[in-house]
Amino acid sequence: MDGGDSEIGGGLLKVSDIRVGVLFIEGTNCEDESVAYFRVLGARAEKVHLKQLTGDVPREMRRRLEDYDILMIPGGFAAGDYVRAGTIFAARIKWKLQDGIVEFVEAGKPIFGVCNGFQVLVEMGLLPALGGTLLETPEAVLAINDSSHYECRPSLLKQENRGVCAFVSKIPRGRVLKVISAHAEGKILFPRDREKKILKELIRNDQIVFRYVDDRGRYAGYPWCPSGATYNIAALCNRDGNVFGIQPHPERCFFRYLHPDWTREDGGDGLGDGALVFQSVLDYVSRKF
Amino acid sequence: MGERYVRRRLPFPLHEVRLLEASDRELGSISQDMGLALSVDEMKRVREYFRGHKRDPTDVELQSLGQAWSEHCCYKSSKVFLKEFIFPVQTPDVIDRGDAGVMAFDEGHAYALRIESHNHPSAVVPYGGAATGIGGIIRDVLAMGAQPIALVDPLHFGPLDVPYVRLAPGLKHPKYLFGGVVAGIRDYGNRLGIPTVAGCVVFDEGYLGNIVVNVGCVGFGDRAQLQRNRVREAGDVFVLCGGRTGRDGIHGVTFASVDLTEEAVGEWEAGAVQLGDPIMKEPLIHAVIESAKAGLLHGLKDLGGGGLSCVVGELALNGGFGAEVDLEAVPLKEAGLEPWEIWVSESQERMMLVVPPENIERVLGIFELYDVPASPIGRVIREKLCRVRYRGETVVEMDLEFYTVGPEYRRPVQELPVPTKAADLPRMPRDLRATFLELLRSPNIASKESVIRQYDHEVRASTVVRPLQGVIGKAAHGDAAVVKPLVDSWRALAIATASTGAYTALDPYRGGATAVEETCRNLVAVGARPHAISNCLNFGNPERPDRLWFLREAVRGIGEAAAALGVAIPSGNVSLYNESAAGPVLPTPAILGVGIVEDLRRCVTSDLKRAGDPLYLVGTTRVDLGGSEYYRALGIDGGAPPSVDLRAARDSMEGLLRAMRNGTVAACHDLSHGGLAIAAAEMALGGDVGARLRLAKSDLRFDIALFSESNGRWLVEVRQGRDAEFLEGMAGVSVAKVGTVGGQEVALVRGGEAVRAALPAIRRAWTEAIPKLAVVS
Repeated sequence: MDGGDSEIGGGLLKVSDIRVGVLFIEGTNCEDESVAYFRVLGARAEKVHLKQLTGDVPREMRRRLEDYDILMIPGGFAAGDYVRAGTIFAARIKWKLQDGIVEFVEAGKPIFGVCNGFQVLVEMGLLPALGGTLLETPEAVLAINDSSHYECRPSLLKQENRGVCAFVSKIPRGRVLKVISAHAEGKILFPRDREKKILKELIRNDQIVFRYVDDRGRYAGYPWCPSGATYNIAALCNRDGNVFGIQPHPERCFFRYLHPDWTREDGGDGLGDGALVFQSVLDYVSRKF
Repeated sequence: MGERYVRRRLPFPLHEVRLLEASDRELGSISQDMGLALSVDEMKRVREYFRGHKRDPTDVELQSLGQAWSEHCCYKSSKVFLKEFIFPVQTPDVIDRGDAGVMAFDEGHAYALRIESHNHPSAVVPYGGAATGIGGIIRDVLAMGAQPIALVDPLHFGPLDVPYVRLAPGLKHPKYLFGGVVAGIRDYGNRLGIPTVAGCVVFDEGYLGNIVVNVGCVGFGDRAQLQRNRVREAGDVFVLCGGRTGRDGIHGVTFASVDLTEEAVGEWEAGAVQLGDPIMKEPLIHAVIESAKAGLLHGLKDLGGGGLSCVVGELALNGGFGAEVDLEAVPLKEAGLEPWEIWVSESQERMMLVVPPENIERVLGIFELYDVPASPIGRVIREKLCRVRYRGETVVEMDLEFYTVGPEYRRPVQELPVPTKAADLPRMPRDLRATFLELLRSPNIASKESVIRQYDHEVRASTVVRPLQGVIGKAAHGDAAVVKPLVDSWRALAIATASTGAYTALDPYRGGATAVEETCRNLVAVGARPHAISNCLNFGNPERPDRLWFLREAVRGIGEAAAALGVAIPSGNVSLYNESAAGPVLPTPAILGVGIVEDLRRCVTSDLKRAGDPLYLVGTTRVDLGGSEYYRALGIDGGAPPSVDLRAARDSMEGLLRAMRNGTVAACHDLSHGGLAIAAAEMALGGDVGARLRLAKSDLRFDIALFSESNGRWLVEVRQGRDAEFLEGMAGVSVAKVGTVGGQEVALVRGGEAVRAALPAIRRAWTEAIPKLAVVS
């Protein structure tokens, strides 16, 4: 369970100096494990309530965005998600932090959205962000799954990024990762009249990071693609590659013993596929800053 | 209200009830009018008490007693049996027995467990009833200071394809109930972020009138953060936190303590079902755990049945003190609630903290960060009484002992004969392959994937062994889930359930014992040592001696089996009055079991791993067909259900655990519904590889060898070439080599007799059945 991996953090900034803020409000429910697993890799991670960033808490509890090198928006059902997934949390972040977030992104610092976090980033206009850092009107939506209900199942994700994305710097292109899907709204859709054009642009910009495949590496339908997502897209990044949203949960395959079929493999020791995403972004920060 | 109820001259409604002069008959109608569900004898006891105090009670006081003395709250009909058979079953690892049981995990940590029912509300409002069931069981675990880490839910419905004409008036169709309950658990549990890792879905005619919706929870924490459900000293402050109090959930416990008649259904629909709010509960859990970890609390308890009226009394009495409460300090959802409504409302998402005055500010600060309301509403006093004021007026003042302890009965039981031998054997089916496929399609055997995958069983990123096990995209049912509560330890918790309505209806002692044994068998199948169980007892009206006998015998079976298998019973729940126009519920004990995994890297799953590996059958197959799925398929009622050989079971469990520690076991599956043939099929499905079983000649007819449901059995895949080591571990245990992994079909052969089916045919039968049946047309 020792997370020390000599291959990450080869840059100027030591991994143990990298500060990760895992943002939460009521209904966010993956913050604890996300903090714990960043710490396993040696990073200085803490969970931070949105109110701590907006100043709505006593002075000693306040935090600033610049206190962090990586900002994570973890999974869950922020504020219940009774509107479209991610909408409420996105609105609450933008209300008081929009300028700070734009500054954070433009400084090249990574923002990591998982599941509900991905939905939040899309609702905020930070992904895919074809026309700027943060767009006032979202250009995509994570719609309800084709099955019309929640789907909790293993997924296979093929890494398709050609080099832009900070979150796959340690994952060779073409590699297939095991992760866990667990969402009701994961079907990415673009405006129908511009769908082809947007897809082309995403490909040209190298913004597509992971796509759902089946056990033979083919872009298959349900249940391999649990939602019916356009182009089997499971994860996107912005044009600079530092804002990243992924629908399935890499932290749920962080260790080998969390792989859905680990009892069929060599055993439960060591880090799992999901850790590669965490390692990649830490390595990126270590080298960049 | 008539002359019996006299309103005091106050700016709010408060009535005195003219009890002192009431005749016995009038006592009954007062109980009825006020929805107290107290018997005339109980009302007499109340009258006696107030005669002693020379005054009439207030409506608030009578309502309090209706709650505190309900079957739901004080277990008045069942306690006598629990004391005899369940409470003595303890082990040195039991740390506490409160709202949930608390057990030692390792030197520094403990886990909590409990299972309970939410049958009545779920039968009326399936979506909301099931959701608040989850909410309630989570609070029970939280009340021990433990972080909830896993949920389970054994569910029981009538057959999905029952024609509407078969439903008695007022009853809802099983399809509607099934869909609503699953969606309620999904939408509430998933939002909370607590994984739903185990359970079962059972269909039987015996649940047409009364569904059984049980929910269990396991929690975890540092021993230092554990809390007691009691106050510690005078001056401690009661801090009510979480959701606001409203008119939802008035009289939940009293209606849960009467039969589900059409009239009662109406009352439930009028407001006895509570409204859940997972997005209040989620931060509430964080704030409570943070307060507990910071050592700021003197006690803690959840608000469930009976609301404030129960929690205040129980906290104070358990600590040996009294309580004073100012009702106007309770945050309300709406204005205009009468004092008694505030006092007994079962509104959800509320917890009661007991906080020493010096810590109040820090506790309120924590709740403020999480945006969770928290309000001091009262204090602990030395006098052992409960005094409640509302706007300066004393509305309750009763001795705690009288108020909270409640009556206890030894009601008459009527023994019924149990079948001692198998029903007459049916004729051997002509086409056993067709029978095999029919069993795979049977709703009690067929894949529950369409349910399981709607629940988030992965959140918290610590589910090591899942409810569906095997090749990605092909996984099949496992026996237990395993969760890893600590990042830096290989020690883990296995979680399993079992329920045995069909067996219990035939022989409640065997049904109870089998539920425990099967739970333990499930835990052992993944490599865990059974450690503790919690039981939920779903039975009929205890005032009917025949129904009560089922309860007593099942409890006896549970207690004896747990003692023999060395597991503690630190918590449980009894749900009675599961009766409707369709009669009593199928008597159903449901068990939540927790086992300790020493090193999770040795965990075993049910899916077959490798062609060429040998298969062994552990345990002895007998003619055990009463209540079996085979008999159900053939339409045969009666016959003795499986017997329980506890000594053999224990020896087999020890042997298997030794073999698993040695790493000789590649896969393991418990034999239950559908027997050997179904276990082999499920293992093959999960591994996406066939199996060839060659059974030795025996006196048993071939169909019985395939489908008998004898207890104490597992099918085990042993790693090739390690047979000798495996058998060494299994010394003294009945074990026989029965076949080999390989091919693309499941073949069960004995001499010239054989059943064969190709994997795709097996998969189709097994996976398509429930989705087809569940379609609402």
